[in-house]
Amino acid sequence: MAGRYLAVVDHAYRGGPEVQFCDLFYLARGLHRQLGGLDVVLRGPAVTYAVDTGPLPRLRVGARHLDLPDPRRSLRALLAADSAVSVDEPALRALGLTPDRVLPGVVCRDSASLTRDWPDYEGVWFL
Amino acid sequence: MAARPPADVLLVVTGAPFASDMLTTVLRLVDELLRRGRSVLVWACGYTTMLTQAALGAHKPRDVDDWAARYPSTAAVVSGLLAEYPALFGWEVCAYCAQDRGAGPHVPGVRTRAPSRIGTNVAAARTTVYIGGA
Repeated sequence: MAGRYLAVVDHAYRGGPEVQFCDLFYLARGLHRQLGGLDVVLRGPAVTYAVDTGPLPRLRVGARHLDLPDPRRSLRALLAADSAVSVDEPALRALGLTPDRVLPGVVCRDSASLTRDWPDYEGVWFL
Repeated sequence: MAARPPADVLLVVTGAPFASDMLTTVLRLVDELLRRGRSVLVWACGYTTMLTQAALGAHKPRDVDDWAARYPSTAAVVSGLLAEYPALFGWEVCAYCAQDRGAGPHVPGVRTRAPSRIGTNVAAARTTVYIGGA
């Protein structure tokens, strides 16, 4: 992990039609490219970003249909770019969800192990 | 500009965009009410005053991962509703909050109003829904 950064995401629901494609993980992908490596940890309500769902509906606003942020698509792109994405399993279970619901490639870990790695990173940022 | 009749529903929006699903809720309510022929007035306070600035242009900045895609700005979304429902829809911006944030000028059709106007709007509207979160 030397030279890599870790992004910790605790908050979910970070905007819809004002955000569209430019969601939190769009930023993370940019940081991943620029910094030479960024891994992601999802905690609290943000664990739901990694839970697989069906296709998202578009938002109808008059004659327009807007694309809302699609965190699963964004996370898949991060994973494809060799970013490691982890989920706090107790937070997942607290919401009544189980590890079999998360996207392929996302790792569920216990809370303590998620912080054990922090000294190995160049920096730990809270996005 | 001609006076607009009282709104069936006044949405007082004081929460901040980019921080919750607030704007999704607002636009869903607006869309559904307008489709049912109800008149709607949005009173934009706080950082919601940033959403209708003319400087935002018609589109969001380019998606570097999909250069051909174009996404409308929030200002364009509001402009579209104003053009589509001129007799039913209005969007007013709190002058104090806008000035305090350097928000403006706004796209045509969006009215900037003194904060003292909010009481008048509430009194005139048949129903007021306050959407906070600031």
